[in-house]
Parts: sequence; structure tokens; C-alpha cells
Amino acid sequence: MTAIPVPKKTRLLPAIPRRMILPSILLAALILIPFAAPLITGADPVQISVRDRLALPSWEHWLGQDEFGRDRLARVLYGGQVSLTVAFVATTLACIFGTLLGLIGAYFRGPFEFVTTRLSDVVLCFPPILLALLVVTLFGPGAGTLVAVLSVLYFPSFARIAFSEALRVSSLDFVEASRALGTPSHRIVLGTILPNIAGPVSVQYSLTAAAAITIESGLSFLGLGVVPPAPSWGQMIRGARQFMNQDPLGILIPCVALILTIYAINFFCDRLRDTLDPKGALGGGKDETSVPVAARVTPSDETADVVASIRGLRLQLMSPGGPVDVIQDVSLTLRANQCTALVGESGSGKSLSSLALMGLLPGAIHQAGGALRLRRKSGQMVDLGTLTAKELEDVRGNDVAMIFQEPMTSLNPIHKVGAQMVEAILSHRPMPYADARTRAIDLLELVGINEPARRFDGYPHEMSGGMRQRVMIAMALTCEPRLLIADEPTTALDVTIQAEIIELLQRLRTEYADGLSLLFISHNLGIVSEIADRVAVMYSGQVVEEGPVSQVLNSPHHPYTVALLESMPSSHEELHSARGDRLRAISGTPPLPDARPSGCAFRDRCPIAIPSCADAPPPLFNSADGDRQVRCFRAPEAGSEAAR
Amino acid sequence: MLAFLLRRVAAAIVMLLVVGTIIFSLLVIVPGDPAELLLSTGGGSATQEAIQNLRIEMGLDKPILAQYFSFLINTAQFEFGTSIVDGSSIADAIALRLPRTLEIIGVGAVLALIVAIPVGTLAGLRGGGRFDVIASGVNALLTSIPGFVVGTLFIYFFAQVLRVLPAGGYVAFSQDPAQHLQMLVLPATTVALHLATIIFRMTRASVLEMRGHDWVRTATAKGLRRSLVVRRHILRNALGPVITVVGLQLGILLGSTVLIEFVYNWPGLSGMLVTAVEQRDYPTVRAIILTVAAIFIGINLVIDILYSLLDPRIRLK
Repeated sequence: MTAIPVPKKTRLLPAIPRRMILPSILLAALILIPFAAPLITGADPVQISVRDRLALPSWEHWLGQDEFGRDRLARVLYGGQVSLTVAFVATTLACIFGTLLGLIGAYFRGPFEFVTTRLSDVVLCFPPILLALLVVTLFGPGAGTLVAVLSVLYFPSFARIAFSEALRVSSLDFVEASRALGTPSHRIVLGTILPNIAGPVSVQYSLTAAAAITIESGLSFLGLGVVPPAPSWGQMIRGARQFMNQDPLGILIPCVALILTIYAINFFCDRLRDTLDPKGALGGGKDETSVPVAARVTPSDETADVVASIRGLRLQLMSPGGPVDVIQDVSLTLRANQCTALVGESGSGKSLSSLALMGLLPGAIHQAGGALRLRRKSGQMVDLGTLTAKELEDVRGNDVAMIFQEPMTSLNPIHKVGAQMVEAILSHRPMPYADARTRAIDLLELVGINEPARRFDGYPHEMSGGMRQRVMIAMALTCEPRLLIADEPTTALDVTIQAEIIELLQRLRTEYADGLSLLFISHNLGIVSEIADRVAVMYSGQVVEEGPVSQVLNSPHHPYTVALLESMPSSHEELHSARGDRLRAISGTPPLPDARPSGCAFRDRCPIAIPSCADAPPPLFNSADGDRQVRCFRAPEAGSEAAR
Repeated sequence: MLAFLLRRVAAAIVMLLVVGTIIFSLLVIVPGDPAELLLSTGGGSATQEAIQNLRIEMGLDKPILAQYFSFLINTAQFEFGTSIVDGSSIADAIALRLPRTLEIIGVGAVLALIVAIPVGTLAGLRGGGRFDVIASGVNALLTSIPGFVVGTLFIYFFAQVLRVLPAGGYVAFSQDPAQHLQMLVLPATTVALHLATIIFRMTRASVLEMRGHDWVRTATAKGLRRSLVVRRHILRNALGPVITVVGLQLGILLGSTVLIEFVYNWPGLSGMLVTAVEQRDYPTVRAIILTVAAIFIGINLVIDILYSLLDPRIRLK
């Protein structure tokens, strides 16, 4: 799809994104409240009052008193100060040292790189609490020990993140540029690289802070962290444990304080990550494919040789600004023994129309109208919209099969090639495994794969792109479908392989699958003229011209078809490699589906447009013999139809 | 495949050596005399005679290199020496207690996998849908509760309020199987809860990523049943990263069960470790940590091999 780049708005100060407001407030509140303790309560957190042991909440002591009669509110607040201070001081130290080390490793490479990357491997080998306990054994418990341990525990993860992010950033153009301009290293590292890795490092910072609070409170809970009588949440839980049946508040209050704080940090961290890397965030909850819709009227113009028909198909993209028509009124009839080519620029709707025939539309696309009809092997013509999900599974692969554009990614990398073929066979025809295997190997041989029995047990990554595409073809043919859809099957391959694949498809049509109908999607008119019987040209979600391939390509009637032909490279070499994304003969790009001009969608780029083209969208005009159709007011068909 | 295995085993051995060296050198780089440090309690210091005895007992009077090599050789033979507190054999104590720790981790891990993988898969398949939003929300809350807090709250609700399960303790399985299992429920669930939040997160993310791949579309286009597409072409691919994380977490759990065992009074390695730390029994602490680190490295080795079986491309790297 051709998208127009939208310039990014820049501001002097980055505004806080809306999704960050709530977590920021929550986090700030939970951090600030403990430090506002003297303003909230005048009580002393270590003042013992044996007379008031386990006292219930009262006017002087809002949260009651603990097992030594100390004010619990004061202990929670001051305990929070200790926990938060330990965690944030340790995290900050780890962040500073780790990030510096990572930057040095990434900038100077060599031995620095080795130290940076290996150090974290080693520290990762020690479960964090154990390492902390080891150090506590040697140095004795206390807040100072905790800070030291936690910062040692966590600085390698900062080093690793800073290292990999800095590597990524330093290969970017603007860093290369400033290096070439002779900017001193420290200026590049601190001025250019550091601001660009701040995002991931800050996510790691909040993750680490949450982990540090957990470990601090855990060690204090064991009695090996903060030393009494200084309060801390872990220690409060430890102290209240023995009295939990008399005084459940004693454990609940510090537990809630601890959970809320950790939750606030995690919440903040999640949102921060989503904001920095929006591709992880999801909009809708749809499953991958959207369901075809049944037609309201049954077309009756189907003779026995019709294998599939699309009538008045309308597809809409469900975008935030409302539904947008991506396919408008597309009709196509596919007959047995015929190869129909669907051509047009990228984004013209070729692939969507064909995916609709498979019932494989992406979840965001919705069928707003029209009928998708397919002849099953029983000879019966069915409307895809009336089939249940299970019947649809039965149709796919069995009555209609598809080959995709990218052979490198279309096969599952972790399963053997043979297993992927066998599962296709067995899902439609129950038979013993050995028979399915024989059949798969025969098919591999048929599509020209050497040593098919050995390849059967091979993995996709052991094959070239051309071989994988042959496997895809063999897989599509396993159940002898009546219709084969090939969606740009040669685009991703190099030139010599392209020709071989086309030859293979030609040969299979005549030799193997008698009566097979082929829907061939391409932007390459050279290949189309070799393989197709009929051609339909698509532009901006509509069929603009349709007819026998020799007639359409030799005397195109639609100005867009003319432009497509003129932009075709002349030499054979280029003919096969041209991506066809750009029309050289005409200026401009196809309109986005939500910004089509009034009247004819092509008129902006059309060399022969007249003012009246803007008045109404042109209908499809039929030629005198009914064999050709064109969607243009200025085409000969428009005149002859008007004359009739 | 054999070359891959050998490479991985060699890497694991090197890792063990590095870990052992670091643990050894901690004692060397500690400022002052380790024997004196270990015997100092509160403000008071031990007698010269006691310090001298400990020094000889721990071999601190020998040259550092000699200490290092005898430490490595002893460790390789599971000779951890004796506790400096009561002179009992450390290796025997570990052999007695380690299986109990492994039991709650093992049972907890199985529970976590059984719950978190299906729920995570469902949430991933419906990424952004209502089920996903609820499951992810609950998960975010559960992630924020430290294990020892879960344990404390569990004891309060199940043992104090509802009185359906024992608050803690341990009875050998051979003595009373029913009671052993009853006592296992809460510790194992606590371990499972923590592990499940991590597995859920990873499974969901992994499924979310895998379901968008081209081969999933190919599988659907072949006419495979939806359940087969999910199982073979989404879940199977998604499990690799999940297994890696589970392995890493199992290692970390070996450490953090210390807290959970302490909460439930479960006599695994933790009681031994906490007491040893309190008494500054360095040889015992060192032995336990070495054991845990070795198991950790061992688990990672197994995970690497498992991963390579799941994804043949790994073997090439």
C-alpha cells in the first residue's frame, strides 16, 4: 500500500501521553505519601507502649498499634520510607553504573564489549536472593548492605540493555553523520546516544525498582534485611505473623502497602512500555479471519463450467474513523480450464479479493456486500457466507487452494516439509500415514524436487526460495482443488527461478490437474501475457477493465491499462524483476481508500479525463460482443452502449 | 546435533567454573580476616585461639592458590566440608533437604504450567478482547504480590479463617502420605502462583506474535481444523520462548523458595540457609549456593537442548 508520509509534529516539551497520566499520579502518590509521614501523623514509629499491645484503631492511632504497642500508621509510613529509599538508591546506582558500562562497551567494543555481555550472564546464574544472602553472611544485615547487594545484582541488566540499545542507535544515520563530522566521542555518547536509549533504560529502571522492593522486603521478612527497631514492611509482616489470628490488621496493612506500591510501579512500567513501543498495544479483540457474509440474492447466470464467482463484492476496513471501502463492487467469474489474471498496482485490492474467496480475510476487513460462490467437488455451487466454520475448513485446501507470495515465511520453520504436506492430505482424506507419505513424495517429485524422499524429511530452512515455492505448489495440489489461487507466486524469487515456477504452473495445469482453474495475481504484465487466458485490471478497489488477455493487452481501452502497459520495462530481464509499484508513464500515486476523488477514481492521474468524469463514478460498460468490460466514460464501449 | 550438545555442555562447565571462582574469591576480597569476620557477633569479637582454629579448619592459613585448587577439587567431588557451627557434614544435610525443596518447586511448576499455558494461549489468541483484558489485569495484580506475602495471606485465610489446611510444617511422605500432601498444597500453590504469572505473560506474548505469521495463514488455507492450526502452528512455535523463561524462572525459584519455605516452615534448603546466614556459617552458605547455581546451570542446559528439539534452526547457530 502506498502511504503518504505524515510529518511528525514536534513540540518544545514532550507532552505526557494520556495513558501515562493515571499511572504517573498513582506512582507519585505512593512514593510521596511515606515521605510526608511527619505531616500525616505525629506518632513515633519506634515508641513502645506495652500497655497498648495489639490495640484496635482509635482516634490517636488510626490503624491501631502493633505487638509492641507502636503506632501502626507511623510504622507503615516510615517503613515505606526505608523500603523505597533502599530500592531507589540501589536502582539508581545500578542504573548509572550499568548504563555507563553498556555505553562504553557499545562505543569502544573489543574487550569492553566482552566484559559487558558476559558479566550479566554470570550474575544471572545466581538466584538474586541467594546472592544477597551470601553477601549478608559476610557483611551482616543492614540497609547499607542491602543497597550494595541490590545495586551489584541489577547493574548487569542495565549494562546489557544499554549495550544492545546503544549498538542499535549508533548504527543509525545521524550518529554515523556526527561521527563523520568529527564530534568527540564523549559528546556523541552523552549527547546523541544517551537520549535515544533513555526509553528502554527507564522501563528497566521501573522493573528493577519493583524487584528491589520485593527483595528488600523479603530479606527484612527473614530478619536479614533492615535491622530492627527501624521499621520496614517486610519486618512488620514478620512481627505480626505470630499474632495473625488475634490481629489480622497487623499483616493486612503492610501487605496491602507492599502490594500497592509494587503494583503502581509495574502498572507505570507496562504503560511506559506500551507508550514507547506502541506496536505491542492492541486495538480490537477479533480472531484472525473475518467471516464471509451470505448474499441476499442468488445469481442465476452460472453455467456448468463456472468454478467460482464473485458478485458485487464490497469489503470495508474497520478503521477508527468509521468503515472505509477497500473493495467496491468487484465481480469476477472464474471458469474451469481457464487462467484468469488479476493485475494492478500494490494496494489495488487484488490480494484482498482473492483472500475473500478463501474465507481468509483479516479480522479488520469486513464484507459489506456481494456474494462469494464456489463450486464444490460434488458439483454443487455454494455461497461461502452460508457455510459453517467447519464446512469452510472443508472447502479450503480441498475445493480451493492458495499459493502465497513469500515462500520464505509461508512454511512453518519448525515442522518438517513432509509433515506439513501430510497434515494437509490427512485433514481432507483420512488414510493411513504411509499412503499420505507416498502421495506427498509423489507430489514433490511432480513439482520437480530432486530426491523427494530426502526432502520430505527436511526442514524449510534447508531449502532455497524456489524449492519452497515448489513445495507450496505441491501442498496446494495435494487434494486436487478445482481452483488454485496464486498470489504473486514469483515476486519474491529471482529471475531464473521465476520463469521455472511459471513453466511449472503451466505444465501442471495441462498435465496434472485437468480442468483446474487458476486465479493468478500479479503486477507483472509480461508474466500475465504468458500464462493467462483472461485478465482483470484493478485500480483502487475496483475492476476497471476485464476481457480476453490478447485483446486487453494488445488494445487496452482503459487509460489505466494503457499506463500499466507503457510502464512495462522493455528488456526481458527487467520484465521479470520489475516490482511494478510505481507507474513510470503516469504521475501521482493511487488514492488512499478514504480519499478517492469524486466520480472516477482514476481521473486525477488520467491523461484523457474530461470535466464530466468528476460528476459520477463510471459503471462497467460492456463491449458489443459482451466479452469485454471497461469502467471508463471515454472508452469505445461507453459509446457503443450509449448508442444502443 | 552431537556438536551442538558438546558445545552446550562445555559452555555449562565453563560457567560452573566461573561461578565457583566468584564464590571462592568473595571470601578473599572481603576486607580483614575472614575467620575473625565470621566469628564476630554483634560488637564482641572471638578469642584469638578460636579464630586460629577456624583458620586452620577452613584452610585459610594456606596460600591462596592452594586454597583455590583444593576448593575446586573438593567441590567437584561434592565434598563441602563441615559446618563451622556444629561440625556436621554439609553434604549430608544438603542431600537430606534438597529433595524437599525440589518437591515444592516441581509440583508448583507443574500446576503453573497446567493453568498458565491454556489461559495465556487463549488470551493471546484473543489479544485485546474481553477475556484477554480481564486475564491480563488479574495477572498484573498477581505479579505484584511477593511470594512471602502470598504465603502469609494464604496461611491467614486457609489456616486461620477457613481452617481447611495446615498452616505449615512437614511430614515425610513415607510416614503419612495424606498429611504430607495436605501440607504440600499451600507451599506448592504459592510457588505455582508466582510462576504462573510469568508463564502467562510469556505465553500470551508469544502466541500473539506467532499467530500473525504467514505459516498460520498457510495452515488455515490448507483447510486444517482451527484446533490443529492453534496447536501445531501457533502453540508449538510459541513454546520455545516460554520454555526458556520457565527454565530461567525455575533457577530463580530455587532461590526465592527460601522465603516460601520459611513462611510455611517447610524444612528444605531454606531453613538450613537462613540459619547458616544468621550464624554466619560461611562454608554451609557457600555449599548451598554452589549447589543451587549448579542446578540452575543444569536446568539451563536441559532447556537449551529441549529448545533445540522444538526448533531445529537453533542447532545451526
